[in-house]
Amino acid sequence: MSEATFMGVPREKIVWHPTIDYQKCTFCMECANFCPHRVFEQREGDRRLVVANPNNCVVFCRACSKTCGPDALSFPDKQATIAQIKQMREQVSVQ
Amino acid sequence: MKTAVLSCTGLDKPEGSVAREAAIRMAEAANSEIICPVLLNRSLARYEKVLADNSLIVVDGCSTRCASKLAESLDLKIDRKVLVADALKSSGLTLEPTLRLETNGAALAQTIVDGLVQSLAAPAPAQPSGTSSTEFPPPGEYLIVTHDKFEFRIPVSDYWFNENDVWVRPLGDVARIGISDYMQQSLTDINFVDAPAMHLSVEQFGELGTLESSKAVFEVVAPVAGTVIAVNSEVVSNPTLINEDPYGKGWIVQLKLSNWPEDRELLLNSDAYAKTVKHKAEEA
Ligand code: SF4
Ligand code: SF4
Repeated sequence: MSEATFMGVPREKIVWHPTIDYQKCTFCMECANFCPHRVFEQREGDRRLVVANPNNCVVFCRACSKTCGPDALSFPDKQATIAQIKQMREQVSVQ
Repeated sequence: MKTAVLSCTGLDKPEGSVAREAAIRMAEAANSEIICPVLLNRSLARYEKVLADNSLIVVDGCSTRCASKLAESLDLKIDRKVLVADALKSSGLTLEPTLRLETNGAALAQTIVDGLVQSLAAPAPAQPSGTSSTEFPPPGEYLIVTHDKFEFRIPVSDYWFNENDVWVRPLGDVARIGISDYMQQSLTDINFVDAPAMHLSVEQFGELGTLESSKAVFEVVAPVAGTVIAVNSEVVSNPTLINEDPYGKGWIVQLKLSNWPEDRELLLNSDAYAKTVKHKAEEA
């Protein structure tokens, strides 16, 4: 199913999702409770939280990182992502 | 302006110690009343008079924002806020992993206090003359997207959207920016607007400040590139104006456009945005 697109580009081709720094994360679950898009999932074991569905993440959203006290969530560089998207849009329009 | 400061208690992270120190220094530098968050939580009555007589400044240590959330839960009106973690990033300093206040922590607290004192002395961000709201006529007709018992309005014309639910309405070489009815309803009552600085120049999809509600902190993703030439001082002092009239009086900033119409290629028109909203509402 490739219905999900962002700015005309298939969502799965765009790299945009939070990355958890496990050195910092305290597993408070603020981010997981906050995000409505089921990007995070809780697991058994040491890493009790994982980014299970990265492509559910809304491109350019960074809202969960603003709920994270220990500043454990990071995102790709926006300008680089935009450049990437623009390039893919051109490829799509040439085809 | 008479002020009261509600800060983080400072017993969890170094950023918290800086927040607490900033509160003490505000009391010394600007005669602010200090509000203890633990006592406030226990007894609002203790601070009723202080809160009635003063504008409230909130100093959070980290993004958990306990002090802000406490203020929100008690329905207090926040006049200004500072997040030490953000101030730390822009200062380039680093903090030692200790709850005791170190040299850098003290320096950062002083920077925060200097910034607050300065902003209290300066008048509120004014709407520059010649940019009154009459230049932008109110939105005309709306498309209505319905989902369950919800209705989301989208102006039929003149507005363009990015997929992050921010609209732009260009008029000549300037444009107004705001958030959509759909996002306004998702956030619920907005209680704080952290507007971008005047003259800030922003790229398309860069950050144009943040909005806060009890549900979320929302980053305003710039739909177009440009320079901030006006901030809507009415929404800064009364953020729920965004909820009441998201496409009209609830505009957030005005930009001088720097890359229009090229930027438009990456935006959605009303029909396309209506489809996006429908999709988002079904998924949420
Ligand atoms: S909010 Fe931060 S610390 Fe808490 S679970 Fe998420 S990543 Fe970990
Ligand atoms: S960035 Fe936004 S959509 Fe993505 S995981 Fe965080 S809150 Fe969810």
